[in-house]
Amino acid sequence: MLQSPWSRIGLRNLGRNPKRTILTALGLAVGFFTSVVMVGWTQGLMNEMVDNATGLVGGQIEIHDAEFLPERSLYDTIGGRDGIDVEQLIARVSEDERIVAVAPRVYAGGLLSSGDATLAGMLMGVDPEREVALSRFLDDLVTGRLPQPGRNELVVGTEMARQLESDIGDEVVVVAPGADGSMGNDLFTLVGTYRTGLVEIDSAFAVLPVQDLQALVVLDESRIHEVVVSTEDPWLAEELAAVVAATLEGETPGAEVIPWTELTPAIVEYTALVDVFYFVIIVIVFGLAIFGVANTMLMATYERRREFAVMLAVGTTPRGVVQSVLYEAAALGLFSLALGVAITWPVMVWWHNAPPDLTGLVGDIEMMGSVVSLTMRVEYDMGFTTVAAVALMLTALLSALYPAFRASRVPPADILSGL
Amino acid sequence: MGRMARTRRCVGLVTLGWLAAGGTASAQIDPIEIIDRVEQLYRGESSRGTTTMEIVTENWDREITMEVWSLGNDYSLVRIQAPAREAGTATLKADQDIYNYLPKVDRTIKIPASMMGGSWMGSHFTNDDLVQESRLINDYDIELSFDGDRDGVLVWEFALVPKPEAAVVWGRIEYRVRQADYIPLAVSYYDEDGELARSMEFSDFANMGGRLLPRLMMMRSADKPGEYTSMRYEDLQFDVGIDESFFSLRALQNPR
Repeated sequence: MLQSPWSRIGLRNLGRNPKRTILTALGLAVGFFTSVVMVGWTQGLMNEMVDNATGLVGGQIEIHDAEFLPERSLYDTIGGRDGIDVEQLIARVSEDERIVAVAPRVYAGGLLSSGDATLAGMLMGVDPEREVALSRFLDDLVTGRLPQPGRNELVVGTEMARQLESDIGDEVVVVAPGADGSMGNDLFTLVGTYRTGLVEIDSAFAVLPVQDLQALVVLDESRIHEVVVSTEDPWLAEELAAVVAATLEGETPGAEVIPWTELTPAIVEYTALVDVFYFVIIVIVFGLAIFGVANTMLMATYERRREFAVMLAVGTTPRGVVQSVLYEAAALGLFSLALGVAITWPVMVWWHNAPPDLTGLVGDIEMMGSVVSLTMRVEYDMGFTTVAAVALMLTALLSALYPAFRASRVPPADILSGL
Repeated sequence: MGRMARTRRCVGLVTLGWLAAGGTASAQIDPIEIIDRVEQLYRGESSRGTTTMEIVTENWDREITMEVWSLGNDYSLVRIQAPAREAGTATLKADQDIYNYLPKVDRTIKIPASMMGGSWMGSHFTNDDLVQESRLINDYDIELSFDGDRDGVLVWEFALVPKPEAAVVWGRIEYRVRQADYIPLAVSYYDEDGELARSMEFSDFANMGGRLLPRLMMMRSADKPGEYTSMRYEDLQFDVGIDESFFSLRALQNPR
């Protein structure tokens, strides 16, 4: 490219007004920076949202009896009335090495009462060890510790603890209708509180060992409502759900294997929407830039009318003039891109590894049943970065088209005689 | 939405007004007085009775025997006698508060107002049905909607629509009362969308405690055919000489 005289003329012209060149290049570079960082940040938020939707309390795949949803009836346990061998089911589900954790759960609706306060809540029976490996909401308890089986201990959300006016060590009466029609009731000790940031969870779920809940609501040990599965990558859930469903087919009659993408389709749709939005960002950012660059190129070519007139007068074809202007634009694009990468790269590395934390300003934000914290954590997205680079080059070239056309149409005699 | 509901209510009231005006022969009927009388049928000044509740659901069925006391409209006490596992479990209404006593853990819990519409002991009766926290004549506008013959029996039918400020669960209640002796025959409960939610039938009329009463009440939920709860009075006495102290929290926990 540099061999052709047109490219040499183009390149030389960039150096003719270095301030203007740098300002124009900065405009494009900032456009590149803005779009790459904005998309990286949105990608970071989306990842966190998906991560929290599938890792905070829920899993990436849920297995229940086909009748269980949406009513979540106490009677619709996996394997029907007879239940299943829970350990064997967990072992079978864990077979694929991309599955990182599997945990059983039992649910029941009930009343929790402490002192004068009585609340209706959901009781969630978990295997504490397996649950900690699977979900995150019990990892760092706000206060206290996890409940131990056989000791009538439970943990509740911070909001529920506040409404019950209870603290660690307090006694909580739990009442829940049993599967045999009886009214299960027992005394429990509050041993810990958790916080997810989602009020509907923090105010509603009391967590206790699965055996203790089964005893309270008169369910046999073989009867559980759910097996929750977490995978290496949330986006593998659909594929792995099919694998698990194939494994269980025939072994566990009536079981249904559902990936999170089916349970919370809103988040999937939102990610698809955001993907489209990325291109809207590109169009807006570079759409604005294109006029700035076109303006610069128009001015640059206008003030060189005499030069173009001379070129044309000595026999340069209009095509050669167009080429020289386009080479100039391409060189400007490459320079802007280099500048853009030079600004963007360090910021991306910084904000990826040590994101500025804005949660102090706004707190956590609830989105579609998931929670996101407002940190400026950015994700690398090579695909989009490439698209932004191409968009930058196209912007530079497109904005030079009209000025190049104008330059090639300069009437040499008029211009040169018009002195 | 709000406007539609209001329009519907207005249309309902106009219809009811027209029906009431049409039935000039029943001009002397006071719907409020009749419903009040029906509501007081099992209560009297004070009362004590034994009832057997049979609950049949898709998943289980069971029978509960319990003793029921009441004093005026403000006090009720229901104590389970059988099955043995739940014997002693009691529900108390004193003034505006409802408590459940759980003998297994020897604790009393206060039932929040929001739970009044919840099921009592897994039956198709609500906590409110059992202790009659809300009173129909206070919470509903009552209009005569039918006056005539149903299956060879002269009856009145009343339509009860909640008063605007009433905190009640039903969107509409229809009450059928036998004209001859003011005995209730049937009640239908509709939800806020106007769908039938459950219905209760009264039968087995007998003389108890000096009053003619339906001994059997059968409650069926509309969305679960085959499920029902029946409540049969084994015995019932009125004016049994109990006072407010009988309905204290201490009495709840330590039955005499």
